[in-house]
This record gives sequence, C-alpha cells and structure tokens, in this order.
Amino acid sequence: MKPKWQVWANEAKAEFPKANSALLPLLHRIQTEEGYLSENTINDVAELLQLPVPYVESVVSFYSLYFQKPVGKRVIHVCVGLSCALNGSDQLMHHLEGKLGIQEGQTTQDGEVTLLEAECLAACDLAPVAQVNLRFVAPVESADALLAKEVNS
Amino acid sequence: MIRLTIDDREITVPEGTMIVDAAAQLGIDVPIYCYHQALGPLGACRICLVQVEKMPKLVTGCTTAVQEGMVVHTRGAAVDKGRKGVLEFLLINHPLDCPVCDKGGECFLQDYTFQYGAPAGRYDEPKIHKLKDAPINDFIIIDQERCVLCQRCVRFMGEYVGEEQLLLEGRGVDTVVATVSHQPMDSQFSGNVIDLCPVGALLSIPYRYKARPWNLEREESVCPHCPVGCTTSVTSREGHVIRVEGRPVAGRNWGWLCDRGRFGYDFGYVEKRLLNALVEGREMSAAESTRTVGRWLDAALTDRGPESVAFLVGGQQTMEEAYQVARFSQEVLPGSRTAMVRTVEGYLPSGLNGSFQDIERADVVVYIGGDPYDAVPVVHLKVRERQRANPGLKVMGVGAYELTRDFHGAKNFTVKPQHQAAFLAYALAQAGTKSQAVEHLASQLGTYVPSLLNPVTPEEIQALGRTLLESEHLVLLWDGKEPEMESVLLALRAAREDATEVLPTFGPSNWRGWERAGIPAHFASLQTIIDDAAQGKISVLFVVGADLLRDYPDREQARRALERVDHVVQVGLFLPEEVQLYHAVVPGAGWSEVYGTYTNMEGRMQVAMATVQPPGQARPLRTYLNSWAHALKKSFVLESEWDPFDDDSGDFVPRESLPELRPVTVPEPSPGTPPGSLRVVGFSLVMEGGMPSEILAPRVPRFPGRISPQDAARLGFSEQGGELQLEGTMGKISVMVAPDRRIPDGILALPYGIHGSPLNQLGEGASVKAVRLEEVSLG
Repeated sequence: MKPKWQVWANEAKAEFPKANSALLPLLHRIQTEEGYLSENTINDVAELLQLPVPYVESVVSFYSLYFQKPVGKRVIHVCVGLSCALNGSDQLMHHLEGKLGIQEGQTTQDGEVTLLEAECLAACDLAPVAQVNLRFVAPVESADALLAKEVNS
Repeated sequence: MIRLTIDDREITVPEGTMIVDAAAQLGIDVPIYCYHQALGPLGACRICLVQVEKMPKLVTGCTTAVQEGMVVHTRGAAVDKGRKGVLEFLLINHPLDCPVCDKGGECFLQDYTFQYGAPAGRYDEPKIHKLKDAPINDFIIIDQERCVLCQRCVRFMGEYVGEEQLLLEGRGVDTVVATVSHQPMDSQFSGNVIDLCPVGALLSIPYRYKARPWNLEREESVCPHCPVGCTTSVTSREGHVIRVEGRPVAGRNWGWLCDRGRFGYDFGYVEKRLLNALVEGREMSAAESTRTVGRWLDAALTDRGPESVAFLVGGQQTMEEAYQVARFSQEVLPGSRTAMVRTVEGYLPSGLNGSFQDIERADVVVYIGGDPYDAVPVVHLKVRERQRANPGLKVMGVGAYELTRDFHGAKNFTVKPQHQAAFLAYALAQAGTKSQAVEHLASQLGTYVPSLLNPVTPEEIQALGRTLLESEHLVLLWDGKEPEMESVLLALRAAREDATEVLPTFGPSNWRGWERAGIPAHFASLQTIIDDAAQGKISVLFVVGADLLRDYPDREQARRALERVDHVVQVGLFLPEEVQLYHAVVPGAGWSEVYGTYTNMEGRMQVAMATVQPPGQARPLRTYLNSWAHALKKSFVLESEWDPFDDDSGDFVPRESLPELRPVTVPEPSPGTPPGSLRVVGFSLVMEGGMPSEILAPRVPRFPGRISPQDAARLGFSEQGGELQLEGTMGKISVMVAPDRRIPDGILALPYGIHGSPLNQLGEGASVKAVRLEEVSLG
C-alpha cells in the first residue's frame, strides 16, 4: 500500500456518505497510476474503505474498465455492438489481431498495445467505433489507419 | 396475523411471511432456487413466479410478503408460461451433461424443467463455456457452466457463516461463482454449499461418480462426532456409507453440518479399522475371543469376586449399548462397577441443561472456557443466527484466551488457567445481589481478587456480574473444564429470577445419554476405577469404545492402571494407543452399523438408523455381552429393546432436581509462569476429534497447538509455526504449534483427546519449559 492511497481514500470518503460509494473513484484513481488493480491492491482498497475483500473483488470484476491484469500503454477497445458489427467491426478486430500479432484480450509482447472488445459505445452514427485509451476514434477507416494514427505515431 | 387464499385454500400466517412459505405450510410446492428461509429473500432466480389477483404481472413468491385478503394462484396457464420462460433463459448456457452429472436424479433444474420447461430450446447459438470440474477446496468441486447464479452459496458463506470465501465474479452471462482471490475455501462449514446448491454446480469430491440417486439407500441418522448431534441423512450404496447430508428438521434446525460431520463418515472403512480380534498378540476370530475373555472373567469371579471387574464406556456408543453394559454389570456381575471415559472433569446437572431454543431467545450468550467454533461448530452458527435476528445480543467470553471471534460488541474476560470458576464467583459477588447463594459463594472467596490477562476494568467485571444475574434470557456454553464451575452455575441459577440455561460443550458426544442409561457420569466414578486399577485392585477391565491413554486426563495414571490390571479387554473400532497394554482387543460395530439413540448437548434424544453391515468380524456390543454371559453359564437375555424415551419429557432426558451446592475452591495465587515457560490449557477441537478419516486428512490441522504471536516470535517461529519442545516432569515432548492472535502471552492451548496432542501427558494448567525444536536440515 502506498501512503498516498490513504489520503486518496480519505478524500473519496469525504465526498460520499458511505464507504461503498467511494469505492469506484478510489479504484479509478489507483488504476490510473498503477495501470491495473492487482490482488494486493484489491486487499489494500478493501482495508482502506473497510469493505469485505470479496465485495471489492466482485466490483472490480464486474466493470470492464477495471483491469485485473497489466495492460499496454495503449488500450484499444473495438466496439462489437450491432451497428458496428454491421459496419465491419468483426473484420476490423480480425485485422487488428493480425497486425498486432495478438488475440483479443491480449497485450503485445513489448507491452505497448492491449486489444479488447467493448459492448456498444453509444456512437452508432459513427460505426465502426474504436477507443484508444478511452478516446473515441470513429469511424475507423481501417486497421492500418488506426494503428498508424493512434499507435505508431 | 394475515389471512389469505392460496389456490382456493385459506390460510392464516404471521405478518411478513413470504408467499412461498405460506404455500409450503399448505403443502403447496412452489419451485425455488435462490430462496432459503435462513438466508432471507433475494429474488435472483425468478422461478417462483406466482399470480396474485389484482396485480398486473406475475410476482416472485419468495420476495412478496403476504397481504390481508390476498388471492394467490401458484399454478395456471400464466404462471406455467412464466416459469417456462424463466427456465428457457436459465438453460440457454446450461450444458447438456445430465448423464454424467452427480446431481442428476435429485436436481431441481432437471425436475422443474421436466415439470414446466419447454421440450426444446429455441436458442441455436453456441453455449458459453466456463470453468468445469475445478476444486474449490479438498472436498468440493465447482462446475460454473451448470450454475444458475442463485447466490445461495455466496450468501450462506458471507451473510450466514460470516466467512466470506465465495463471490460473484464478472458480469452478465460471464458471471461466475468463484472463491476469494482464487484461494481454496477453508471454512469448516464449506460443505453446506453442496446441500444448498439446487443444481449440479457444487458437488462433493468424495462422493463424486460413486452412485446415481436410484442406486442409493438413505437412512435418517444423527452425527456422532460432537455433542451438537446434528440431524443427518446417511447415503449408502451396496453396504458402504458414501455420503452424509444435513437433514433439516422443520422448526428446529436448518440441517447445517460442519465439514467434520459431513466428510468424516469414512472412519468405518479406514485402514486402521479393527476387523479381527487380537488376543494376547494373536489374531483370532471374534467368536473364539469370547471364550478366552469368558475364562478370564470366570477366573476373576472365582478368585477375587465381581468387585474386581469394571466397565468403561466411551467413544460413540449408543444409549442402548450403554444400557446393555449397565445391565450386564448389574445382572451378570452384580458388584462390578461402570463409568464413562471423560476428557474433562466437570459435570452439569441435567436440571441446568438448556436447549438450542434458548439460544434462539437469548439476550446474552456467555462462552465459558472454550470457543464453540472449535468444539461444537454448528452452535457457532446458531449464535450467529441469533445475532442476526437480535443485533443487541451480547456475546461474552470467559476463558484463558479470547473466545468470541468476530461477534459484534463481544467482550472477553481472559483469566488465568483454572481461575474461571473463581472469577465468575467474584464477578457475581461484585454485582451487589442479596442472594444467599451468591453471598455464600462470596464468603468462600475470602480476599481473592482476580487478575486478568487482558485489559478489563473493575466496573466491567461488576457489569458482567449484573448481566449474568439480571438479563432475561441468559445462555451459558460451558466446556466442562473446571469442576467447581458446577457450584458457580448452581449459585447463579439460585440467584436469578429468570431461567439459567447452560449448554455443555464437552464430550463424549453421548455422555448424557449414557447417564440416562445408568452409567455414572461424574468424573470421580472413572477416577476411582482408574486409581483402583493402578493399585492392582481390578482383575478384568473392559474398555468399550474408548482409547483410554488418549482420552483420560492423566495419561501416566491411565498407563499404570492398564499395566496393573490382570486382563484389559477393549471393544472398539480401532486399535488403541499402546496396544501391547491390552490383553484382548475385539472388533466392535459402530455408528451407521447399529441402530441406536444418541443424546445431544441439549439432552435431546435422537435416533440414528443402521444402514450398513459391520465390516469383517466386527460385532455389535450385545453379541459380546451375550457370549461372555454364556461363558459364565449365566443368562443375559435382553428380551426387548430398551425405550429411553420418557412419558413427561418426550424427546428430552428427564431433568433431575438440582443438587446441593458444593464448595468452590479458591485457586492458589499461581506462582507466575517462570520466564521461558508456558502454561497449558486444553480445548476441544472437533475437526480432529480422534476419529480417523482419510477424507478429512487434508483438513486436520498440522499445528494442533496454539501460542501467542509474541511468544512465537520470542521462540523464533515463523508466522506458520513449527515444532515446540516441552520439558517438564514428564520428560521431553514435542508438539506442533502455530501462532494465534487470540492466545495471550504465556499460554499454550492444546486440543483434547487426539493423537499428537500431549495435553494429558502435561496436565491441564501445568507449567512447561518450552523451546523451539531446531529444524533438522537434510543434506
């Protein structure tokens, strides 16, 4: 546990009446700095907010934007919702997998890129949609264009 | 009370009752997965849909409380269609592996699908695959594909047991039940999730692929391992016990078991089981052994008279067997003596004996001496359930270490070993009551002032005394360690206006039943026989179902007794320790092999059926008694089965009137433990319990002894523990110990009556010099 987490926990707790409510912002803040939430981190957060460990573990596993494994410097989410699927998100994902040499859910060996699928990102008019580190890239013209512009630049 | 109509039948139920429970009272079966009365409503599975008139949609019967004048239909086209829809969703990703699933044939998913489900699914997409056949500890396997996410197991472990070891992981169709941090579950209540699981997701490993439900015989039984006497049902196939399940009894218990009771059923088949008689080192048939024993008995009667014969009853004998011993002693050998083998010296008069219903009403629960979690695990759940219903429940501990675990608002009084009775007498005296009994106690205390091992103010001791005297519903759980406690409890009873209910947590499990059957229960009866034997006054000593060297509080004295007796005859399931001291060891039949009655710590008599044949030459006790009588040319015919049940007290053994108060010995001011020494305290640990079990082997604690973390650090142990060498009058003994934060400095807690625990070599309260045994490095 890092000393400043205690400060962050107190700040988060001050904003909400219950410890449960402080959980999500605190997890986000720690993940932003650490990159992911390890088992030890989950135990530490539970201790900081005096919540049961299984509760924190359940919450972390529930939300797809909390990572329980290390991720790359850039996290690419490809929307697999209906509109994007109709506009070729399957092929996009397939091409990205080929270009990056990894499967969906994996991180490149150099630790640069993680490729994930996302449920509907609520930008159907721009399908197919992707996000790079949560920033929208849409519509995606091709895997090459996406990688050239967002990853290799 | 609320009146409502369910399926055209009227019923009146208390306010707050859920529709499914009201229906159950009418014998109407509403399908359920997630709901369990002990856990409360959740509404996760939706299978219990019912129609309530004037409500626009179907409602879940398990989350809808009854209302006055409500009209409920539990069947009908709308309801059946609703359930059919729910099942279709539940089955979307459910694998079609019923033919290889242990639950098949007793599975609620199968049953309700058969009853309500669609003949075929409309969902053609591939099923989602999840983890299958993954052990979550040594006894339980999880199949996440079969899970319907009812959350019974998660809620049971978290909310009910308070050991959060299971959780829901993920979201939506990917949600699975998993263990916390993917570590094995180590709760001693883990096995209950097998009974709770309505489908084939959580299954027993020892029972895995052993049988289909239609191959099975199921008999109602009682768990023999500890004084709780949990109701069980024993599953056998072709003469082998292959499973034990909890058996709920309406209005009395939920059918929870601890893992010792659920998985420790294989003691009848372990390698150590005695299958032939062993007489003077020679293996022979059981029948032949009876003639030899008969000759010894005959010689003893001729030479020294029946006074030189004694019977000790112990272990898991039924009440009927104890009764047979008592009658054999009276009728065939009038003048011979009987006693029961005890590990602790205390006695509880039946007039003080409370019941589990008293826990359901309690305002205050006091643990004296031991932690029920160790000794009588399911009682721990009962106290937890009471605290859920009554958050104001006070749980207090009086013992040589912290007893109350994580009970809310619990208070511990950590007193020196063997000072518990004096401390409680002192607390009562401080409360300022005018009761004669308490004043009498106080007068015996003189100037005694207890010094406690944890920070406690004089006001808190006074408050304890007042709580004991004044709380309306008081339940005490006593471990039987200090015999003087009996007088303190009697004085407390005399001083209180309301009832004083005491539950004895000490074994042997069936001791109250044997007392009812006519075997003296007081420790003094046993001690006299052992001391007489040690002085050579006993010619033939029968030990029935007990391992004397292991169980008797003074091992050296027990050894002297066995050495001096002309002929020691053991009837039992296993070879006793130091078998060379026994002249004959004959194989007995035990639990699940003989029908019999067991009396639990409430004094409640419960019947356990026989389900399998005894293995090898093992015989029921009465067979031996009959043939020994025959060898003496005396008749001993038990014409009819003895009926232990009483006209007035029903299921309970009759409560005797309370005995006279006896003096309380004020403990000597202990000289203080010399530096480098530890003081020995005994405790019951049912998970060891002395009965061998190959299934439970992984759960038997590697470190039976417990010391304080400070002592552990001082002695140079790691957090895990290690081997401790003890030096005292008995020589050098080593024992495995682990640090435990509940143990105060200077205390060594050791379990009773198990192999590898040197408690009865050291003696309760003994001060022993302790050093860490250096690890021997190999190579």
